[in-house]
Amino acid sequence: MSDGQSRPTNDAQIVVSGLSKQYRNVLAVNNLSFTVEPGRVTGFLGPNGAGKTTTLRMLLNLVTPTAGTATIGGRRYPELAEPLRHVGAVLEASSAHKGRTGINHLRVISAAAGLPRQRADEALALVGLTPAAKRKFKGYSLGMKQRLGIAAAMLGDPRVLILDEPANGLDPEGIRWMRGFLKGLAAEGRTVLVSSHLLSEMQLLADDVVIIAAGQLVRQGPVDQVIGSMAQGVRVRVRTPQAEALTSALAGGPARVQTDEHGALLIAGVDAPTVGRAALGAGVELHELTTERPDLERVFLELTAGKAGIR
Amino acid sequence: MSNLVRSELLKIRTTSTWWWLAIGAFLSIAMAFPLNAWLFNTAVEGNAEDVGLTGDAASAPAQAANLYTSGQYLGLMFVMLIGILMVTNEFFHQTATTTFLATPRRTAVIVSKLIAASLLGFVFWLVTTVIDLGAGAIFLTLNDHGTLLGEWEVQRALLLNLMAYAIWTVLGVGIGTLITNQLGAVITASVLYLIGTQVVSVLFFMLSSWLDSLAVLKWQVLWPAVASQVMITPGENEMLPAWWVGVLVLIGYALVSGIIGVLLTRRRDIS
Repeated sequence: MSDGQSRPTNDAQIVVSGLSKQYRNVLAVNNLSFTVEPGRVTGFLGPNGAGKTTTLRMLLNLVTPTAGTATIGGRRYPELAEPLRHVGAVLEASSAHKGRTGINHLRVISAAAGLPRQRADEALALVGLTPAAKRKFKGYSLGMKQRLGIAAAMLGDPRVLILDEPANGLDPEGIRWMRGFLKGLAAEGRTVLVSSHLLSEMQLLADDVVIIAAGQLVRQGPVDQVIGSMAQGVRVRVRTPQAEALTSALAGGPARVQTDEHGALLIAGVDAPTVGRAALGAGVELHELTTERPDLERVFLELTAGKAGIR
Repeated sequence: MSNLVRSELLKIRTTSTWWWLAIGAFLSIAMAFPLNAWLFNTAVEGNAEDVGLTGDAASAPAQAANLYTSGQYLGLMFVMLIGILMVTNEFFHQTATTTFLATPRRTAVIVSKLIAASLLGFVFWLVTTVIDLGAGAIFLTLNDHGTLLGEWEVQRALLLNLMAYAIWTVLGVGIGTLITNQLGAVITASVLYLIGTQVVSVLFFMLSSWLDSLAVLKWQVLWPAVASQVMITPGENEMLPAWWVGVLVLIGYALVSGIIGVLLTRRRDIS
């Protein structure tokens, strides 16, 4: 898929700067700024109604910002000479005429973008839809619709991919396929920006995350860094019939001990070997000793707590 | 721009809508032609008054022109519907997103729709006219009138009919950009076209008797469907404006709806 040309990397950098969108009663996006780098998969996360879709649509010139700019390789979307060769986007799963065949849907787009006619066949093959080429869109399953959307985005072999909730409605096999596909594109040096609220999937897929809530940026950075930055870091989870004995054995040190709803101890501030030694010293019997690292879901929920309300 | 027009024509060709509307246009010829043939016979046999035809309108060339444009009344509505669907489909099926991603220059998209629409109007005109010419020439020759195709009045009606087809398709595109709800646009436009014309003529008739002035009736031409009738009707009298007035009115509507359509589409958020 790579065209072999070496272009400056910032050619594919997305820069969102001071972006705002005021709808009649709602400030959907509020002075939002972030950057998305080439060669990485960036997860764009936020609760429902956080303004993810509006932001992506402003980036693509479908929605006019009230203030601020969004550029791709330094240019606004309508300033790109051949937008589909530069940027591919997948916005809704259902964006094709129901009575049109998959291949004709792609041919219509190719024609409008001035792309060679065989690109439609190539893009369809790329997503594995060739057997359904001549079937009408209304007969497609949700997974097939998503694949057709990706094929449309890949028509111009773009440097930048923007996907809004691409995993919606995919079965586990489809999700795994999508993950491999997007990671592959990033490995080729392309920019991949994916919005989602499937956090466990994002943890497997994304290199970087941009987290927004209530239209504002909450956190941006590499996934590991964002997770590591949380105040509540690593915890040790212990199950023991002698919880009180272990708690007193750890008292006086840096350990902070809490009890969860199942009676297990959650110990922060010390690592698992320290807890194990303390238990051995006190003669406490252990049934479980696990190191718990915070995952993206926990970090996300803590970061966006209280901001996810209906606006 | 040619890429965009090609894409628009491909959009039409790759769905079945145009096919249904073409069948509709064909049926409207099938219904109108016998009626117009009967009118022709009635008029040339000197009974024109019985069917409300007077003066120029009762002449053989005028009636031949009417015969050769059979099916125009509903045909124009069908091409208008195609024009409407060219726009509303984009919103109904959410393809506006893909369309404007491929071409962020929205003015170019609407202009290419207008061009594609008029090309399609031309094709509808061509096919319906070929059918009318065949059937009409056979009918007239069998009834010993000759084809009457040498008459300027007939030729003019055919050419103006072409213009009507192109303009009504363009007008449909304009209506589609004004009312993007598919069902809303189709119903509004069809009702205004079919029933609106009768309502307008009743209103003008009442106005005319109230003001005691037949000249008021001329102003019916401001209604697009009337304008398009005036355009292909020969002759002129105190109730009927000249054909070119109809042309100007229709072009005016096409221009205004096209411009408003472009302006609205440029500003609209696609979400």
